[in-house]
Amino acid sequence: MQVPSAQATAAASLLALEEVSCRFGGLLALDRVSLQVQPGEIFGLIGPNGAGKTTLFNLISGVGRPTAGSIRWSDGAINGLPPDRINRLGIGRTFQNLRLFQRLSCLENVLIGLHHSARAPLLPALLGRRSFRQSQGELRQRALELLELVDLADTARQPAGSLPYGSQRRLEIARALATAPRLLLLDEPAAGMNPIEKEELSALIRRLRSRFDLTVLVIEHHVPLMMSLCDRLAVLNFGRRIALGTPESVRHDPAVIEAYLGVSS
Amino acid sequence: MSDLSLLVQMGFGALLALSVYLPLRCGQLSLATPGFYVIGGYVAALLSTRWPALSGDGAGYPLTSLALELVVAAPVAAAVALVLGRPVLQLRGIYLAIATIALVEILRVLNLNLAWSGGAVGIFGIPQPFAGPGGYALATWVLLALVCWLCARLEAMRLGRAMAAIRDDELAARCMGIPSADVKLTAFVISAVIAALTGVLAAHFLNTWNARQGGFDASITTLAFVVFGGSRIWLGPVLGGLVITALPELLRPVGDLRLILFGLVILLGPILFPQGLITPERLARLQQTLRRP
Repeated sequence: MQVPSAQATAAASLLALEEVSCRFGGLLALDRVSLQVQPGEIFGLIGPNGAGKTTLFNLISGVGRPTAGSIRWSDGAINGLPPDRINRLGIGRTFQNLRLFQRLSCLENVLIGLHHSARAPLLPALLGRRSFRQSQGELRQRALELLELVDLADTARQPAGSLPYGSQRRLEIARALATAPRLLLLDEPAAGMNPIEKEELSALIRRLRSRFDLTVLVIEHHVPLMMSLCDRLAVLNFGRRIALGTPESVRHDPAVIEAYLGVSS
Repeated sequence: MSDLSLLVQMGFGALLALSVYLPLRCGQLSLATPGFYVIGGYVAALLSTRWPALSGDGAGYPLTSLALELVVAAPVAAAVALVLGRPVLQLRGIYLAIATIALVEILRVLNLNLAWSGGAVGIFGIPQPFAGPGGYALATWVLLALVCWLCARLEAMRLGRAMAAIRDDELAARCMGIPSADVKLTAFVISAVIAALTGVLAAHFLNTWNARQGGFDASITTLAFVVFGGSRIWLGPVLGGLVITALPELLRPVGDLRLILFGLVILLGPILFPQGLITPERLARLQQTLRRP
């Protein structure tokens, strides 16, 4: 069993998980996982299928509740808060299985992400006053800029469901960015992408980090991509954190080699 | 039935369709509309028959009193919707439908048995603010125009986008920071107010009000308006409400066949147009063809 992880000084960390467990009936999906994410880093989560990576994302984003343990964000506990509250605290996410608003256009998808920036006084909005139209115009402009950033400005008017897979993944990133997060959770952003797209995605994530002062937590199966992209990595296996550290140290960790990378490089 | 009376009925149909449409636009299959319609009708019937001061001294029932009834009915319906909405809207899909049908039925049975609602006989002799159906037609269509305008504006605002998002994927919407419970409750309350205002006009128009005005039948009819017309843009339910209310009358020349034809239209509509007659895409295409002559 795992020794309670070194209670690293959580002082500077943006997100801190302490002994987080999650049980679904007889299945212990997460078993006392602790980790701290520092502001500005790209933190990777890897592990075989069913290791509990997405469950961890669900707990952080409020989609699920931990059975035990605490999740601290900046300076308060956030476990048990509903997803919309957590989003407003500055945590944005994408989904492994793509949950775009399929029938709505790309632009509308991003506009929905801008919900809380779209607050407008009710009366001018009802009357369609110029001040309201102007604010809506600015809003669309911002949405278009976000689309441009992920290289989707040309498809702004197309329904999200009609885009190729890789583009849908990037649209999800733009939609999450629209909610103005400080921490972005990316759940398998490269799934279904070809090698060139994966390269570009890697560059995109780095670009977004510096442009928006983001901290990024990313799940991905493609290990070489993760090794080059992430500042630090945590490895999960059967719900437990079996390694944590720089890509270099994780690559040579015997537990990781045995559990995940197999007979290794 | 005179042509003007038919216009009034069509207006009621369109208004009730919009009332069903608003919750449905955020994915909530609520069949509570007839319940709020009945509440509005009773507010009008009780105020106008039990409160002599409202009747004024002239021959007709003063329009200001009618306006007062509307002003009273709206917050009454809104309050009921607020109180019921929180718990009821936690249900999803067919369970919400069943709960709202139960609500309508509870109201019906209560009204049937309580003394102040006139029991099974109902309330008679509701005074007439208008001399003929023309006045009612005008009032109904003014209200319809106002509600259409409100819906069109809502759809241009962030509330409209949030509603569409919740309908497509509620969990994703919540993860984008949209407080879905509040959005659904807002739609439910506006829906209740529209139904209640319609009920006020209907009570005067029909001259009598009783528990049979709203029931399970009405839930299904009003839902059919929206299924037929489309539930993604406000024009759909309006068209559905107008057409399906008018159809049995318009088909009268066909004689005995008319009910069969009416049934066929109801049946074929959703088969040929699963999303309803009017969808945003179809409207956009129509606009393009009109602009390209």
